[in-house]
Amino acid sequence: MSRKFLYLLVLGSLVLLLASQTGSDPYEANRQQMVNEQIRARGIDHYPTLEAMERVPRHRFVPREQQRFAYFDRPLPIGYGQTISQPYIVAYMTQIIDPKPHHKVLEIGTGSGYQAAILAEIVDHVYTIEIVPELGRSASRLLNELYDNVSVKIADGYHGWEEAGPFDAIVVTAAAGTIPPPLIEQLKEGGKMIIPVGSPYLTQQLMLVEKRSRRYTTRSLMPVRFVPFRRSE
Amino acid sequence: MDVEKTRENVSNRLLVSLGLHSAAIIAFQLSLMQLISIVQWHHFAYMIISIAMLGFGASGTLLALARKKTMKHSHWLVPLLMMLSGVLMMVVFPLSRAGFLRFDVFLLFSGGGGWLALLMNYLVFFLPFFFGALAIGIIFIRQSSQIGSLYFSNLIGSGAGGLLVLLLMSAVFPLRVPAFIGLLSILSGLLLSDRRIIRWALPAGISGLLLTVYLFFAPGLLQLSEYKSLEMALHLPEATVTQTTPSVYGLVQVVHSPAQRFAPAVSFSYTDEIPGGKVIFVNGDFFGHILEPAENPLEHILNYTTQQLPFVLSDPERVLCINAGTGVAVSHALANGAGKIDAVIENRAVVSLLKNELKQASGGVFQEPGVEVHALQARNFLAGESRWDYDLIVLPLLDGFGGTSGLNALREEYSYTLESFQLMLQRLSPKGMIAVSTWLDYPPRTSLKIPATLVEAALGSGIEAPLRHIAAIRSWGTLTFILKKEPLNETEIGAIRHFCDEMFFDPLLLPGLRPEERQQYNLTDDPQYFDRLDRIMAGDSRALEDYGFTIAPSTDNKPYFSQFLRLGSLRHMAGIFGDEQMPFLELGYLTLIITLAQSALLALILIVVPLFALKKSRYKKSATLVYFGALGLGYMFAEIILIQRFVLYFGQPVFAVATVISTMMLFSGVGSRLSQKLEAGPCNIRNIAFLAAGLLLLFAFVLTPLLQASIALGNASKIAISLLSIGIPAFVMGMLFPLGVRFLDRHDPEQIPWAWGINGCLSVISTSLATLLAVESGFQAVIIIAALAYLLAAMAFSFSSKIFRKNSVS
Repeated sequence: MSRKFLYLLVLGSLVLLLASQTGSDPYEANRQQMVNEQIRARGIDHYPTLEAMERVPRHRFVPREQQRFAYFDRPLPIGYGQTISQPYIVAYMTQIIDPKPHHKVLEIGTGSGYQAAILAEIVDHVYTIEIVPELGRSASRLLNELYDNVSVKIADGYHGWEEAGPFDAIVVTAAAGTIPPPLIEQLKEGGKMIIPVGSPYLTQQLMLVEKRSRRYTTRSLMPVRFVPFRRSE
Repeated sequence: MDVEKTRENVSNRLLVSLGLHSAAIIAFQLSLMQLISIVQWHHFAYMIISIAMLGFGASGTLLALARKKTMKHSHWLVPLLMMLSGVLMMVVFPLSRAGFLRFDVFLLFSGGGGWLALLMNYLVFFLPFFFGALAIGIIFIRQSSQIGSLYFSNLIGSGAGGLLVLLLMSAVFPLRVPAFIGLLSILSGLLLSDRRIIRWALPAGISGLLLTVYLFFAPGLLQLSEYKSLEMALHLPEATVTQTTPSVYGLVQVVHSPAQRFAPAVSFSYTDEIPGGKVIFVNGDFFGHILEPAENPLEHILNYTTQQLPFVLSDPERVLCINAGTGVAVSHALANGAGKIDAVIENRAVVSLLKNELKQASGGVFQEPGVEVHALQARNFLAGESRWDYDLIVLPLLDGFGGTSGLNALREEYSYTLESFQLMLQRLSPKGMIAVSTWLDYPPRTSLKIPATLVEAALGSGIEAPLRHIAAIRSWGTLTFILKKEPLNETEIGAIRHFCDEMFFDPLLLPGLRPEERQQYNLTDDPQYFDRLDRIMAGDSRALEDYGFTIAPSTDNKPYFSQFLRLGSLRHMAGIFGDEQMPFLELGYLTLIITLAQSALLALILIVVPLFALKKSRYKKSATLVYFGALGLGYMFAEIILIQRFVLYFGQPVFAVATVISTMMLFSGVGSRLSQKLEAGPCNIRNIAFLAAGLLLLFAFVLTPLLQASIALGNASKIAISLLSIGIPAFVMGMLFPLGVRFLDRHDPEQIPWAWGINGCLSVISTSLATLLAVESGFQAVIIIAALAYLLAAMAFSFSSKIFRKNSVS
């Protein structure tokens, strides 16, 4: 084999190696660590949720100056008084509604779009509503770039999305003191609605609403701001 | 103008200038508190201001280290410092909201950074107080033999400053207030400018005036934290601020948006539209919704919430709505057939708005026939002005949605003390009841403290089996408790069960309740709440003691209903919830601890540093430290406790604070002035300190009963009682600082700046320390400690005088 051919082989390998590096995700290792340490280790075992958390590039859903904190174990500000939820809460809320591939899910409060992205990895279609126009536009651009099964609307979430309903699940990401009657109407029989009770930066508790035969039950779940609550007393 | 030759003239002009400048400093402090409260939160305003006020202590440190130089140049330094302080007062707040100095308190605690910006803010706000206090300190030291007159001017000016800022707050947009205040300091500097410095002082003064005019017409924008309720509301569709009204209660703003809906934890059975509309904010924080009248006057959104519970049991004719806010409880009572309603609301600015500009929006709720509005605190109303026995007394929905994380921990809430509930029970008709509601909170705190209070109030009022008189229901978001004077009968119990079924609520407390009834519709993964609740209802005191949070009833001595943190179990709770959780569970109280820690640390540095410059024996310095430190602590403790007691007495916090502060300043000033005529000898000083201690000790046991006995009297009598009960000890206390300074002036004048600094530092620490002690041990303990402080001052001075005499003999 000639020397020239050997040089070409080495050069070609180097070029291929460089090409593979430029296309890789610089936060992949952080994301894996997040899933292992913050999600799996805390009892999330819904496989589609874990897969989705491993795939979705969370760092793309936060402001540039917050990117280095994207995989940290806390919520982050995204402007306009809103936050992207702590990864564990996103995973917990996703698991609780038990999403299936044929499901249609409504999200109230798109925010950064991260929760919608996680859901889009699992279900058939996600309909998401954001009341703050700037956030809605920003999330819409990113979600449309990454997914083709997400519809974003900039509107008051009170009225839900009647023309697309009813929904197998409704995820309300912005805490409110009222559960709007239209949302209840747009929840399918046997459907689940998950709502955080409390402020993003303060103690939060998740509440699950279930609708069966026109009878409504709620379940207060443990506070999940940082870690699952385990009473030792 | 030469000080020595023109002592008389300077003295008069100096007194006026000092008074103006002192007024400016206090007015600026209060104005800054309001501004920071609006853009951030009240507790953090306090945290920042406490560091800023250490400017007083720092000025003493600097003067101790550079006394000779500052005295040599005092004739131009004092006017310059006053003017500089005035200019800084005008510009520091807008500066703090600009560029890299801007920070958000919420982000600090959630790891969002901003600590450097916070430190820069500390420095920026520190400067006007530092320069201002330097000017005062130089005057005190330069003419310490006249300290009695000077301190009189300082105190009177401070009192006037407090009243001035109230006047400005009621009439002027908050951002404009510092401009007026800063001008006072500039004028005070101009007043002291003699021929040698007038050529720069006058242009500086004119520039200050021009700056005032500019800032008045172009005050800038109030840039709130993006996490404040008002700021978040402004992002809603079509949100507009329709009303902005400055007031002594805070900046009142009304925001209209169709997306602002009022339906607190409304039942799933409610299917109608929930209309949006106006919300009132005070200092950027949510105050209340303005409910538009429903088309059907009998329909009310609260009919579909747990707050309907009392109306399920009866049709009350006479209703008392405590802390009636925006009148929602009033309209609810009207919709349920109440004929005579007394609405008690502290905030007169909101009452005025609802009666005038917002009359149409609120459906004229406060002008309905049978409705009477009373602008004072509920306790005073119940004690004196209530017209008849009530069929229903309603308290407002407590806490915020999801809990307020202890942000109200340091607020005195006299409506929720044990004594208050006992008084309410006395004011009920034979079939009457009290209703109190709260948002659900986790971990349970308010939702346990309310039943604990109701049980103890019932037992204290002669109700032997509270379980038969108390009912409660629970929705997905709220709880409502009622306490009836008569036991619940079977018809009523059945009506409650039926209402719960209709609304998808669950009964929580009912005679004969089965455990499974508690979770038919609203389940919880934490059944320990029910266990603890049952133990409380059974009168098990250990249920209150062995809980990680404080849930025992609050009392008038410790009226901090929303304070739940137990310092003793902090570690244990952090172990359960995690260290990172704790700030978000009890933010208000922890902020107080941080405030105390940071100011104590800095004060220690400021007090210790001058020791390197003072070359006398250590015994004299420790006596000075103890004496002036004790005075600083004792005076502030007394002032804070008097404010708390008289807030309850007058029922109008703003009026009470103004009365206490201005009376204390006036009488202390008179005492200071008269002290000039006394010999500044150890005997006089010791005896006066003992007298102050004795009066405060008497207060600890006599003041509260006196105020309780006279609470129902008319305003004229109450003012007379206040003047005597505040004035006498204030007069005595006011003598001690100037007497101590004059003593030092004769024996060891080098220590005067240090004494000034110590007094300033301890005054700052005392404010947060007094609050902490009041929360933990009650008001009586704080006033006893104030008495002990003056006792310590008397003893320190006895010791000190012996050292001085010994040294002078040798």
